[in-house]
Amino acid sequence: MRSIDDFTRPLENISPMDDPLGLIVRDWAEKYVIPHRRKFDEDYVDHKFIEPAFDKLMGEMGMQRVLFPENMGGWGFGRSDHVGTSMYRIMEEVARADSGMAVAYGVVYWPLLMIAVEPHVNYELCKEFAPIFCDTEEARFAANAMTEPQGGSDIENMEILGGSTIQTTAVLDGDEWVINGHKLWPTNSGGVCNLFGVVCTTNPGSRDPDDFAFIFVPADTPGCTQGPPYQKAGMAADKNGDIWFENVRVPKSYRAHGPGLDAMYFKEMVSLGNMASTAFVGGVLLNVWERLYEFVSEETYKGQPLKEHDAVAGLLADIARDAEVVRIVGYQNARMMDRPDIYGARWSDEQVAKARLYKYWSADVGMETLGKAMNLMSVYGADRDWDIEKHWRDLKIVQLWLGGKQLGQAEVARWFWDLETV
Amino acid sequence: MSEHDLFPFAHEWLSDMDTSLAANLEKWAASELMEKRLELKEDYAGLLEPAMRKLCLDIGLQRLLWPEAYGGDGHNTPAAALTITAALEQVARGDTSIALLLSGMWALQSCMAMEGKENPEACEAFADLFASKDTLAVTSLVLPLFRDEPQAHAKLSRGAWSVEAKKVRPIACGADAAVFGVYCSLDGEDEAGLIALPGDAKGVKKGKALLKTGLAASRNADVTFDKTKAPEGMCVARGREACRAALAWLYLGVSASNVGALFASYEILREWGDNRVIKGKDQVFKNNPLTSAVMGEVAKEIALDRMLTYNLARVLAAPDVYGEAGGERNFVTACMVAQQVAQSAEKAIGNAMEMMASAGYATEWNLERYWRDTKTMQLCLGPYELAKMDYARYFYQSQAR
Ligand SMILES: Cc1cc2nc3c(=O)[nH]c(=O)nc-3n(C[C@H](O)[C@H](O)[C@H](O)COP(=O)(O)OP(=O)(O)OC[C@H]3O[C@@H](n4cnc5c(N)ncnc54)[C@H](O)[C@@H]3O)c2cc1C
Repeated sequence: MRSIDDFTRPLENISPMDDPLGLIVRDWAEKYVIPHRRKFDEDYVDHKFIEPAFDKLMGEMGMQRVLFPENMGGWGFGRSDHVGTSMYRIMEEVARADSGMAVAYGVVYWPLLMIAVEPHVNYELCKEFAPIFCDTEEARFAANAMTEPQGGSDIENMEILGGSTIQTTAVLDGDEWVINGHKLWPTNSGGVCNLFGVVCTTNPGSRDPDDFAFIFVPADTPGCTQGPPYQKAGMAADKNGDIWFENVRVPKSYRAHGPGLDAMYFKEMVSLGNMASTAFVGGVLLNVWERLYEFVSEETYKGQPLKEHDAVAGLLADIARDAEVVRIVGYQNARMMDRPDIYGARWSDEQVAKARLYKYWSADVGMETLGKAMNLMSVYGADRDWDIEKHWRDLKIVQLWLGGKQLGQAEVARWFWDLETV
Repeated sequence: MSEHDLFPFAHEWLSDMDTSLAANLEKWAASELMEKRLELKEDYAGLLEPAMRKLCLDIGLQRLLWPEAYGGDGHNTPAAALTITAALEQVARGDTSIALLLSGMWALQSCMAMEGKENPEACEAFADLFASKDTLAVTSLVLPLFRDEPQAHAKLSRGAWSVEAKKVRPIACGADAAVFGVYCSLDGEDEAGLIALPGDAKGVKKGKALLKTGLAASRNADVTFDKTKAPEGMCVARGREACRAALAWLYLGVSASNVGALFASYEILREWGDNRVIKGKDQVFKNNPLTSAVMGEVAKEIALDRMLTYNLARVLAAPDVYGEAGGERNFVTACMVAQQVAQSAEKAIGNAMEMMASAGYATEWNLERYWRDTKTMQLCLGPYELAKMDYARYFYQSQAR
């Protein structure tokens, strides 16, 4: 019998950590997530079932420390040449069990990428924030507070709008930033966040990249409030809510890098966020293959296993094809993130556009595949017990976030076709 | 402009009664469901059950197709296919799961109670339920999971059927059924039959309500029929053609319910398109060419789905012109339309969610529930890969099974 390991990875390009880490995470998923994931939807507020699994992975196993330099209690991935492929594999394994957990865990790194990844490690800030994540056995969460009520896509649409729509302001008052604004939807908000990376403007309405500021705000800073989690179609393991910053004061040094550089490295976050999204799709498709394998082997039609019906087999081939191709493309994107020396800076327009392309393509493929898998299962396709419907509900947001498909299309068209106005 | 005028269809086929019923149901959907759902979400006891009681008992939709002689309103003619289409569009706008419940009920009633073909034994047996003013006639159909393979088996002995099935899965409402319609292989016969059984008949064991993707008003569960007995006349559809007629009515109901869900999605997307601003302060959402292209596509799907659905209704409404509902051509047409509309609803509502990004994914905006409901409803039609065998058989005389 085949296993998910029969789906191809580009073996000559993966990190030395790929299997050791991947298998540890798989073991964790089998023990702490898969047996409980059918209860996650109703647990979206309390996280009674979800929290222990996070504590195990991130706190006890230490996976929330991986980006930080070794001398600060971290594992030094941020300074390695396998940050992309290692992350890809870890995200894929977590998403195979639950893509909501994968995003919540992945977003712990997301704002930290600004300060913990070569060639722009900010050692001072790493030192400042490492204890939050490295000196504990409990899960700790970071969030990337970008989206605002008037729109998330516009904020990400840096090339055309240059940060001019950001309403959250940062004003320097002596040695402190004073932040005011309202964010919504960040992964790991809804009450769980420990450290926010906040997208701000120092000059509202400006398109000058110098005025784009990425400032860290520990969640317990006076004036910073989180609302309760929203109810959503899926992804219960990811809490999303409102965050208000009212005259929040943080030291001047909490700005990630400074004028121009914050805007530049923010685009790297976009690249890596899209790469991780492809990994979520890839992980989900591997689990769809596993669960569907069981279904089409057990259920019978005309006296034979359902999978032996020729027309059904045609569809099963397509589903395997999609899982295989998404994995290959995803790893390729991860490799591009590993090796900016070959593929160009992670924040370059090319890398951003290509990561968006892989993400929106894979999310579309993933949703179509999931829909077909559910359909093949007849009335059972809607059963929580078969897990596939949960993946279908969870994965939908991967299509919608990070500016939505249309922003992705616009950026891809802009890069490949030299567009100037779209 | 209401959807009635906006999305064209051959409305001359509708009677005045159909039109006024639809208008009343539009009001029911607004007052019983849409105005309350922000607070009550998908609460069964607080929102859905009261709305169903109002609809089925007070407005009386469970009596609509039931013969007058047995206490119903007497619209038990094929023309009711158009009536139920107009009704289900509005019901599903309010709540798609309630529309599916009605679709199942009307499919079962269609094979007991059609004028000229009434089954007096079944009408007598179920008159108290379907004509009731206080008991919901929650109907649960146990259909083949895979094309035409029954989940249940029935044996006739001394004028009574004994129905046998272990932990089978109805398309809806297994946990609450007041009546089951069970598609069975019939002992010693080549063809299948649909047997009507009271929900509390001896030997019926309903499992616990299952967690599932959508359709909150349908509390579904696995059901066991342990030698459940029914008089011979309770086989309300016997043989391929009769069973296919029931399915054709169900497929019509599912299509009309999808159209209703699409109307609701259209309304939500329209509000978003009118009010959301993107590209800084530059652009009202609907004026962006890239997003308006997607919105246009969503509208196209809705318009075509509606036309197809009314055409199917017309086919079933006019057996003098098109032949009986259960004939192979009409059955295949019903199946094709239902699958087409269901797939199109999945695509269009999925696209609408994409337009609304996080808002599309949040329960607060209500769009995501139509997405879940229509997908769940699609699964009642069985796998598309196998449905295509029926199309190939009809159009090419393929022997593929
Ligand atoms: C589970 C979940 C996790 C999330 N995590 C985070 C997070 O960690 N941090 C964070 O800040 N946000 C997060 N979000 C928010 C998410 O990233 C945004 O919803 C998304 O970026 C879109 O923003 P919006 O919802 O404001 O929609 P809008 O910006 O209003 O966009 C709506 C739609 O408009 C279209 N559109 C927008 N701009 C253009 C354009 N220029 N051209 C053509 N079409 C366009 C797109 O189709 C888009 O889908 C999350 C949301 C969810 C549901």
